[in-house]
Amino acid sequence: MVIKKLLRNPLSMIGLVLLLGFVLIALFAPWIAPTLEEHKNEPYRVPRFGWGSSPSPPTKEHPMGLTQGKYDVFYGIIWGTRTAFQVGLIVTGLSCLLGVLIGSVSAYIGGKFDEVIMRFVDVFMSFPFLIAAIVITAVLGRGLDKVIIALVLFRWTGYARLIRGSVLQVKQDEYIMAARAGGVSHPAILVRHIIPNTIFPVLIQASMNMGSIVVTAATLSFLGLGAPEGYADWGQMISFARNWVLGSPGEPLKYWYTVVWPGAAIVLFVLSWNLIGDAFRDIMDPRIQA
Amino acid sequence: MLTFIARRLLFLPIVLIGVTLMVFVVMSFLTPYQLVSAYIKSPEELKNQSLDDLVRKYGLDQPAHIRYINWVKNLLKGDLGYSKSANMRVTEAISKRFPATIELALFSIIPVIFGGIWLGTISAKHYNRPLDHISRTFAIIGWSLPDFVFGLIMLMIFYGVLGWFPPGRLSMWADTIVLTGDFVRYTGMNTVDAILNWRWDIFLDALRHLAAPIITLSYLWWAYLLRITRSSMLEVLNKDYVRTARAKGLGEKVVVNRHVRRNALIPVATVSGSMVLGLLGGVVIVETVFDYKGIGLLTATGAQQLDYTLILGTTLFYGLLLVVTNLIVDVLYAFIDPRVRLE
Repeated sequence: MVIKKLLRNPLSMIGLVLLLGFVLIALFAPWIAPTLEEHKNEPYRVPRFGWGSSPSPPTKEHPMGLTQGKYDVFYGIIWGTRTAFQVGLIVTGLSCLLGVLIGSVSAYIGGKFDEVIMRFVDVFMSFPFLIAAIVITAVLGRGLDKVIIALVLFRWTGYARLIRGSVLQVKQDEYIMAARAGGVSHPAILVRHIIPNTIFPVLIQASMNMGSIVVTAATLSFLGLGAPEGYADWGQMISFARNWVLGSPGEPLKYWYTVVWPGAAIVLFVLSWNLIGDAFRDIMDPRIQA
Repeated sequence: MLTFIARRLLFLPIVLIGVTLMVFVVMSFLTPYQLVSAYIKSPEELKNQSLDDLVRKYGLDQPAHIRYINWVKNLLKGDLGYSKSANMRVTEAISKRFPATIELALFSIIPVIFGGIWLGTISAKHYNRPLDHISRTFAIIGWSLPDFVFGLIMLMIFYGVLGWFPPGRLSMWADTIVLTGDFVRYTGMNTVDAILNWRWDIFLDALRHLAAPIITLSYLWWAYLLRITRSSMLEVLNKDYVRTARAKGLGEKVVVNRHVRRNALIPVATVSGSMVLGLLGGVVIVETVFDYKGIGLLTATGAQQLDYTLILGTTLFYGLLLVVTNLIVDVLYAFIDPRVRLE
C-alpha cells in the first residue's frame, strides 16, 4: 500500500530513481572508475595526475577535471558514493540499535530509572548536533571511524525518545500481560513482543535521517575534521574547491568544475532521500488523511 | 503561569549540571598536558614553568571528582582558560565574537519565519495542485542543499561574478572607521552601532556583507517551516469552525488568513526551539564559508587547530545558551497556547 503510494507520487518517484542510480554507481564503482594498477590495494585513495596545487580543467581522460592537488574529481565522486553509503548506513544502523535498546529498556522498566535516562537524553539533546560532532572529532582525532563515533553518539537520542513513547503505550496491552502470565521472561517479552510492534516508526525515521547524516559527515570533512586527505569523500572534494571558487581575476568561473560536480553529487544524493522521506511523511501523517 | 515558570526554573540547575558534566567527560579524553591551557591565564605562565609543574599546580593529576569541582569553581568565576588560536582568554574571545553571530541570527530569523510560513500557506491552499508541488520542490531542494555547497555557490556567483556581496563583516574602509575612537561600539553589532553612530554608509556596507549569509541560511530553513505550516494548515482546514466561517460567506482570504493560519501557527511556535538549535549549528558553516567573524567561525578554527580550550569553552557556551533559549521558548509557548499550562 505504502509502496504503491510512493510510486504514484511524481516527487517520490524521482527520489527512488535517483537513489537507484546511486546504488548502481556504488555497486559498479570498480568498473565505472577503475583503480590504477599501483593503488590496487587502496581503491579509496583518489589518484593524482601531475604536480602543483592548482586545479586543471576537464579533459577526455579526466571528464570532471582535476581539483586542488591534481586529484581526479570523477574518481573521487564515483568512489565517494560508496563512502557516503557506508557512513550513512553504519551511523544509522548503530544509532538505531543503541537508541532502540536504551529507549525500550528505559520505557519497559519505567519509574525512576526511566526518569533518569530521559534527563540523560535531554542533556545530549541540549547541544547543537553539528557543534557536538565537531568537538568529538576534534578530541578523538581525524578519520572516518571517528566521524562515525561522533555521529552515533549524538544521533541515538532521537530514536530512543521515539521508541520510548511507543513502548510506554504498548506495554499496557493485553497480549503483553498474557505473555507475562504465561511465564515469558522480561528480556524475551521485550525482544519478541514489544520491539517488533514498536520499531516501524523508528525505521521510517531512520531512513529519513540518512540524507542529513551524510551531509553532517561531509560537513566535518569540509572543515578538515573528517576523512584523511586524498580519501574518496565528497565533503573533502568540496573543501578542496574552497580556495578556488572565486576563480582568477577576469575569469571568475575558471574553476567551476571543482565545486559543481562534487556539489551536485551530494545534493542529488540527499535530495533522493529527502524526496522519498517527504512523501513517506505525507503518507504516514494521519492528520492529512481526511 | 507562574507555577509553570517556577517548575521549569527548578529543572534548570539539573540540566546545567548535566551540560557541564558532559563537557567534562569529553575533556577527560585529553591528557593533562593537552588540558593545561584550559587553566592558565596568560601565555607568560608557560614560559616560566615546566608543563609538569603546571599540571600539578592546577591539580590535573588529581582524581576526577576533585578536578570536576575545581573546574566548575573556575567556571563560576567566569574563567575558561587561554585560547592559543584566538590569542586571548576564551571568555574574551566569546564576548567579542558573540554579537556578530547574534546579529546574523536576528537578521536571518525574519526571512526564515515569514518566508517559510508564506510558502507553507501557499502549499496548503493549493494542496496537491501544481503550486503545492512547485513550492515544495523549491523548498526540498533548499533542504537538500548542504550549507557549505550552497554557500560556496553563492560566493562564486554573488561575489566572484557579480561582486555584490563580499565576504567578511565590513569593507576595509568601513573597518578602519569602526576601529577609530570616534565610532562608539555600543553593542558590537555593526548594523546597530552604525545607526546609533548615524553612519548610514557603514550600515549599508554591513548589510551588504550580511546579505549572502542571510540568503543562505533562510533558503536552507524554509523547507522545514513549510513542512510544518503546511501539514498543520491542512489539519485546521478540515475543522468545523472553518466550514462555519465559509458557510457564513466569508471570503477565502479572510478564512485562510484569520481563521486557519492563526491556529495553524501553534505547532510552528513549538519547533522554534529546535530551529534555534539548528540555526546555531548552521551558523558555524555559513560563517566559515563567508569568513564572517562570529562565534561559529571561532569554533571551526579552534577545532581545525586542535585548540581544545577554545572548543570546550564554546561548547559549554552553546549548551548554556540553548538551555536558556529553550526555557524562553517554553514560557512563550505556554503564553501563546493556554492548554500547555494546564498539563
